[in-house]
Order: sequence, then C-alpha cells, then structure tokens
Amino acid sequence: MRILIVEDEPDLLASLAQALREEGYAVDIAANGDDGLFNAEGTDYDAIVLDVMLPGLDGWEVLKRLRKTKKTPVLMLTARDQTRDRVKGLDTGADDYVVKPFDLEEIFARLRAIIRRSANKTTNLLEIGEVKIDTAARNVFFKDKPVELTAREYVLVEFMALHRGEVVTRTQLYEHLFDENENSLSNLLDVHVSNVRKKLGAEFIATRRGHGYCIE
Amino acid sequence: MKFFKSIKWRLQLWYGLILVAVLAGFGFTAYQLERGRLFGRIDDELHRRIGVIAGALHHPPPHGPDRNEPPFDRPLPGQFPDDGPPEENLHPPREFHLPPEDAHFFDASDPNNFYYSIQDLNGKKNWHSDNDPNYDPKSEVAMLSNDSLRLTYREIKNVLPSDVEISVGCSIAPELKELRLTALKLGGFGCVILSLGLAGGWWFVSRALRPVENISATAVKISAGDLSQRINVGEAESEFGQLAAVLNSTFARLDAAFAQQQQFTADAAHELRTPVSVILTQTQTALNREREAADYKQTVEACQRAAQRMRKLIESLLALARFDAGQEVLKRLPFDFSKTVSDCVELVQPLAAERGVKIISEMSPLQVTGDSERLAQVVSNLLTNSIQYNQPGGEVRVKFESQNGLVVLTVADSGPGIAAEDLPRVFERFYRADQSRTGTGSAGLGLSICQAIVEAHGGTIEATSEVGTGTTFIVRLPLV
Repeated sequence: MRILIVEDEPDLLASLAQALREEGYAVDIAANGDDGLFNAEGTDYDAIVLDVMLPGLDGWEVLKRLRKTKKTPVLMLTARDQTRDRVKGLDTGADDYVVKPFDLEEIFARLRAIIRRSANKTTNLLEIGEVKIDTAARNVFFKDKPVELTAREYVLVEFMALHRGEVVTRTQLYEHLFDENENSLSNLLDVHVSNVRKKLGAEFIATRRGHGYCIE
Repeated sequence: MKFFKSIKWRLQLWYGLILVAVLAGFGFTAYQLERGRLFGRIDDELHRRIGVIAGALHHPPPHGPDRNEPPFDRPLPGQFPDDGPPEENLHPPREFHLPPEDAHFFDASDPNNFYYSIQDLNGKKNWHSDNDPNYDPKSEVAMLSNDSLRLTYREIKNVLPSDVEISVGCSIAPELKELRLTALKLGGFGCVILSLGLAGGWWFVSRALRPVENISATAVKISAGDLSQRINVGEAESEFGQLAAVLNSTFARLDAAFAQQQQFTADAAHELRTPVSVILTQTQTALNREREAADYKQTVEACQRAAQRMRKLIESLLALARFDAGQEVLKRLPFDFSKTVSDCVELVQPLAAERGVKIISEMSPLQVTGDSERLAQVVSNLLTNSIQYNQPGGEVRVKFESQNGLVVLTVADSGPGIAAEDLPRVFERFYRADQSRTGTGSAGLGLSICQAIVEAHGGTIEATSEVGTGTTFIVRLPLV
C-alpha cells in the first residue's frame, strides 16, 4: 500500500510519514501543492493525505486538478472545521475529511476505510480459501491459526487480496509496496513472496510467468 | 401604574381632557344663547301686553260696536312711558274692561296663558285676569323685582304715572321644557363628538406610535441574539424613519463587530490547530514503540518548536487583546530612535543572510519619546516581514527622518509586492497575502500588532505597494 502525504508543516509531515511507514505503508511525501500534484499524477497511490492550506497550489486546487485524471482516494487534512469547508471538500472530490488536531489512530482507520472502499470491499474481513485477513487489526489467520507476518509481508498479502482474481504485475507491486527511495532493491519482492508462500501455503499466491502474481 | 406611564394612554388622556373642555365651552355657550333667545321672545310678548293693558286703562273702549280700532294703532309698550300719558288720565280709573279686540291676548281658559293684574300703590288689587297665579295661594310665584326670573313664571311690572301698577306674566314651563330638551341634545351631541374624537385619537396615536412598537420588537429580537434583524423603515422622511435608520446603522455596526470578533476567535483557534497536531502526531508516533534516544530527542525538539509557535501566537493574541481593551501601559521616555533601529537591523541580520537579502539603512541620531521596547517590536516586525516577503538577492531599505514634529520611518522591500485589492487588508488580523505559512511561522498578526502599537503612540502606519517592484511601509510617530 503506497501513500502520498502532502503537508507543508515539516514536523507534522515527518511524524505522519514515520507513523504510516511503521504501519507498513510505503510513504512518499510532498511539502507543497505543486510537488504533491506532480507526484499524485505520476504514481498510482492507494491513498493520498492532502492538507488544505499549502503554499503554491492549495489543497482544493490540487484535488480539483487530480480528479481530472485519477480516482485515487483522498483524505483531506484541514484546520477549518466549519460545515461549509467540509461540504466543499467532499463536493470537490475528497473521499474523507479529518480536522486538525487529530489522533493518529483516526488517520489510520480512515485511510484503511477509503482504501477498502476504493477496492469495492465493505468489510474488514477478507476470506480466501483457508486464509482469513482482518484488515482492521492487520491480522492473518491460516487454518484458523494466527500467522506472524512482517509489516511488508502483510501489506503484500492485503494488496493481493484486495485485487483478488486480477494479475498484479511486479511493477504494480513495486509501486504499491515500496516508496520512491527503495526502488533499487529489485529482488526484495521475490523474498517477500516466498516468505508469504512459506507461511500461507505455496498455492496461495500463483505466479504468472512474464506477467506477475495472482490470488485466485 | 403601567397605565399612566404609557405614552399612548397619556396622550389619549390629554387629548380627551382638551376635547371635553372645548365641548363643554361650546355646549354652555349654545345653551345660554338659546335661553336668551327664548326669554327675549317672552319678554317682548310681555312688554307688548303691558302696552295693551295700559292702553285699555287710559282709552276705555266706547260702548258701541262701531268703534273698531286696530289693536296695534296704540302706542307701543316701549314708547309709552316716554310719551307720557295724557293729562286727563292721571287718576286711577274706576273700572277696567279689556277691549274685546284685545281679549285674545289674555285668554284665561288656559292657566299657562298670559295673565295680568292691575293694582294701585297701596297694594290693593283692583283687577286681574282669572288665571293670575298670584291669587292662587298654592302658586310657586314669589314676587320679585321688575324683569326678574321666577321659578316657573315670568312677570313684568310697570308703574303708570297714575299710580297704577300693571303686572303681566305668563308660565314659562314650555320654554323650560324646551331648554331641557336643548340641553339634552347638546349633551348627546357632545358625547357623540367626544367618543368619535377619542376613537379617532386612539387610532391616530396607535398609528403614530406603531414605528416605536416596531423598533422595540426588533430591539427585543436583537437583544435575544439575532443580530441580523433590522427595523423596517416605512416612512424614511418621518422622525421615526430617521431614528430607525440611525438604529439600523448602529445594529449593522454591532453585527459587523460581532462577526469580526467571531472570525478572530475562529482564526485564533485555527492557528492553534496545526501546532497541536504536530505535538499529537509526534508524541503518538514516538510512543507507538520503543525508540532510540536520538528519536525521542527529535520528537521532543519538534514538540518544543510547536510549543514555541503556540507561545508566540498566544503572546500576540494577548498583546492585541490588551491594546483593544486599552490596558497596555506604554512607557513614555525619551530615547535615541537610531539606536533602536540599528539594534533591530542587527537582530534580523542572520535571517537576512539566510535569505540572501541585503539591508540598507540610513540613520542619524534622533530623540523620540515613547515606549522604546514596543517601538523596537514594530521596527523588527516590519524588517522581518520585508525580509520574508522578499526575493533572494533582494534588498530592504530602512530610513527615518524628522518631518513637522513627526518621525517618519520607511521600510521598503524589493519583493513581489502586494496586489492593490489585498493592500487594505494587510493590517487585518490573521491576514496573509500568501495564504500559506511556509517557513515564516507567522500567524498573520505581526502587522496588526505594529498597527496597535503605533496607534497607541498616536501615530499612523500605512503600506504602499507596486506589484513586481516591492512594498513600502511608512510609520509616522509624534516626536514628543
């Protein structure tokens, strides 16, 4: 799961990015509207956290321009909590809205929700054969027994499960699992896939030669 | 006694009293005129009949039917005493007969008709008509002087030179009845006019006072908290219309002041949200798991920066609140303004160097009286502002001079300038020409505080700007 954070307050940006990385997300950051829009248009993020008050293009403008080309779920951050601001945000195409100051837990939950909704899933529980995934608690069960996964492994499983039945290319996986600073480590993905197969059964992730991976 | 305090009722009361007085005066006059007219007519009749009696006394009718003198050929009653009676008739007659042609003057068949009595000076009654009430012991007639009013009779006496006294009278009961009727009519008429007048007055007063009710109803709604209410100004040219217009403009100003206050509070809260968010996310991230000492240090430093920012904001807000309330006590001491300015330039030099901005100052010693600390705050605020909204390699020019008892401080930058439509707003609280706060860490209160300090010194501050060339702030302060 790859997320873009656009926020101009450096301390807030740094701690948000760290917290989301520790949750297992791949996180890219932008400190102004122009960079944010450039990143958002160039990469398929699973979600974008977008501050409203930004130097250069403000949050509304970034969202408006982004919506012309992409449907990436957007969570708006704002210091204004008046109803008309919320309405404006949602009408412009934001998927959700958080008012500063917020709790990290709330940001996590809302991000999970907008990612789930964009994958057309309505519950936190995904069942694939004998594997059960609880996306809220970030737990995976195999034959009703909890399985220990690293954060990266979990994200790989969740991403594949959310795209069940589709062939997910290696490029897609790289884009969604790693942020822009990690792309050089090309064999890392194979290591994660083989670890997941060891823990959840070899047939859980099928390899389509020349295309990518797939969960049936 | 709410009743008597009401203007409506008081007006109505005065109006009613005046109306009653006018109607009473009118009614009394009309009554008196009518009474005079009725009694005058009776008196005329009585005088005429005295003449008839006197004529009959001195010209006894001949005992023959051929004598047919018209009754009004004889001297009129009024003229009679002046002409004087004929000499041969100075003795009281021995007998008296009313001429038949004059008999209709004293028809005795009705007691209410005219009566007469003739007596000599001894009071001995010689002749009288049959209906003379003076011979009825039960009569209410009290003998009074000539032309006097009796209770229900009116009587006139005349003493002839032949020492005969003639009295002629009649009952005035029908006239009295007519007068009572007239009085009743006048009273009724007066009552109708009074009630019409009171009703009309009530309508008029209510109508005239309706704008007052309107104003008071609106004021009640406003005091209940709905500041958007306005008085409906119906007749703009009337006194109430003018009052309503004045009140409406007052309400509008109140409304604007209230809205401004609300905006100020909302902006202040908004400015506090971001640093609080920083502290919350920093601490929550740090506490999520065990960290290295260096990570904790980073978190604490970020929290400190956020707290410093909040402290600065709170100090600014408090300073503005004190200036607003007039509680800020300014020191009024003479000091060298050039020292203050050069200290400030030195203070902002690191920031200028960081931004690649050059500060050019022109100054010579100048004694100014005021609060040196507060004025230093103005100078450093303006300098910081000019550096932050400048471009790399730009410059800031500072100079001051004494002009007509004022010290004129000019701080000019070579930044991008401020658009004409934004220029009047730069002193507004929380206003930032650039809606982001990147790097400046300012909340948009600096210029508001400068303005408050300068105005508390009795000075003025203004900004001129040209897009692409730069912005200039000019502060004018009284030297003493």
